[in-house]
Amino acid sequence: MEQNSIPSSKVERAMRFVKTGAQIGGNYIKHYSKKMLDPSLSKEELHEDNATDVYNALSELKGSALKVAQMLSMEKNILPRQYTNKFQMAQYNAPPLSGPLIVQTFVKSFGKAPQEIFEQFNMKACNAASIGQVHEAVLNQKKIAIKIQYPGVAESIKSDLRMVKPIAFRLLDMNEKELEKYIKEVEGKLLEETDYELEYKRSIEISQACAHIPNLVFTKYYKEYTSKRVLTMDWMEGLHLDDYLKTNPSQVERNRIGQAMWDFYDIQVHELKSVHADPHPGNFLMQENSKLGVIDFGCVKEIPEDFYYNYFALLVNELLEEPGIVKRIMTQQEIINTNDTKEVQQIITDAFLKMTKLLATPFVEPYFDFGNNEYIDEIYALGEEVSKMDELKKSKEGRGSQHALYINRTYFGLYSILNVLKAKVNTGERDWKTALFNYHKPQLAAVS
Amino acid sequence: MKDQIISTYIKQCLEIGKVPSNVYAFAKVLGMEEKDFYTYFSSLESVEMAIFQYWFEQVKEQTEKSEIYAGYSAREKILAIYFAWIEALKGNRSFVKMLFDRKQDHFPIPKFPSFLKLLRHDFIEWANSITNEAIGSKEIEDRKFLSEKYKDGLWMNFFFVMNFWLKDDSPNFEKTDVAIEKSVNLAFDLMGKSPLDSLFDFGKFMFQNK
Repeated sequence: MEQNSIPSSKVERAMRFVKTGAQIGGNYIKHYSKKMLDPSLSKEELHEDNATDVYNALSELKGSALKVAQMLSMEKNILPRQYTNKFQMAQYNAPPLSGPLIVQTFVKSFGKAPQEIFEQFNMKACNAASIGQVHEAVLNQKKIAIKIQYPGVAESIKSDLRMVKPIAFRLLDMNEKELEKYIKEVEGKLLEETDYELEYKRSIEISQACAHIPNLVFTKYYKEYTSKRVLTMDWMEGLHLDDYLKTNPSQVERNRIGQAMWDFYDIQVHELKSVHADPHPGNFLMQENSKLGVIDFGCVKEIPEDFYYNYFALLVNELLEEPGIVKRIMTQQEIINTNDTKEVQQIITDAFLKMTKLLATPFVEPYFDFGNNEYIDEIYALGEEVSKMDELKKSKEGRGSQHALYINRTYFGLYSILNVLKAKVNTGERDWKTALFNYHKPQLAAVS
Repeated sequence: MKDQIISTYIKQCLEIGKVPSNVYAFAKVLGMEEKDFYTYFSSLESVEMAIFQYWFEQVKEQTEKSEIYAGYSAREKILAIYFAWIEALKGNRSFVKMLFDRKQDHFPIPKFPSFLKLLRHDFIEWANSITNEAIGSKEIEDRKFLSEKYKDGLWMNFFFVMNFWLKDDSPNFEKTDVAIEKSVNLAFDLMGKSPLDSLFDFGKFMFQNK
């Protein structure tokens, strides 16, 4: 079709193969940069201004609309990291539930008021969760946590998303079909998060499958006091990442926690093919003796088989070096398509491989030090470079697998937590690489 | 006997799909003489009124005897009664819907549903005591002339919630929960101290001191 334009988001998608959050500047920022260009402004200031614009526009959205906008802007890398971090904690915007409504929710779910079920029940919420609030209670002399969801969340998610579409168009410069695909994916996930029974089921599945990982702890859930809108679990002690770091943990301790986290994700992605896709710091608690506690299984992404084999294939060196395989994978992931000219395909592929090699570095070396800021800076620099490619600016449309959305977010979160933690992690030799290699082996033989 | 008349009445309505046509026919179903019926109720309409009054009494009694209720603020007490009321109506939704949907005879001006008369009376009495309590605890403002109307405002609110619930098609009537929470909060914010009070106060001062 548009033979001389290269869809920028294709390359961008390539870049976030393993999510980086690198700033590469989308069309919005490019557009406004020109408009606001003022010679006296330094580049950083300009950039900051633009980001503030986007941030303000997004802040006006509420609840799930904000979450979608946030994810899409991460997708397009139009927000610098300090802003995306803020949004990661974005919460559903609702006033706290009144006492009688809490009682009402319990009566609807279990036929009894909380005071009749628990020895103690604190009517005052101790914490706001993303779509509900957390109460402290005592059951069988044990301290427990009860998450209660605001009523009507699912309904308002749907209407919020209808509202976000026009704003997303303006902000992200994506075409309708493209946007629709992503919004569907996000909507599905958000609606799943409103079902606490599903969260219960998934937390049991994942925690059982990961029980053998050293230094990883899960909490106990109570099925009899769990319903669509109420989730009951043992209270988990521990510190959030920021507070934990203030206690000056030793390198050994930090490595131990980082390792537990890495292994947790490794097993989920490559064995369970179903992953806790919300690795923001609020979902982890660091405990004494360097143990990592995992809470909140609201957002779980199930990874389709064929997506898995193509998405992760390039982590295997032997496959990465074979142009035939690379092309096949790029086509399957809809990063390049048959309408593109040879040159376009080549440029995208080159940029894609360059980013991939960089982003896959932790997977290649036996040990990787995530505390190494040079590595993160290098990713930023490369992102900057790619964004300046002339051809990219002409493009409007973009395609790509919607499944990548949450997987990218997962790795983005994982890399940034490990970076903050400054952990050195054993990332190398893993069995799953053999499986990936074997999957592509027939093609490898065919092309060579 | 009154209880039996009430339950038979509801049953009749639900099974036949409309209210009994007259006292004679209904008394026959009850297996009693028409004149005996009048010792309990003066008309079929008064049976309907009694039903809602009786339910409200029960809801109040049940809610007020729970331990946490005593510790509630006035706002929470109102919320608790509303939630309990809707919970109680749930068991008889079809019957309630039928009465609300019944064609009003007083065309073209829709009349206030007569079957709610006694409920309205009792509710307003209760609302009056609650608003007085709230004024005492400074939860809401005591305003000249207006304070007298608070209880009527709450009745409108209560009536709105019932209508909302009857039209609610969300699972488990979740939207009604939201409607109750939000409308009661709004009502209390309106009755509470607002910038308008300060404005009025200031205006009065300026007027007196010009």
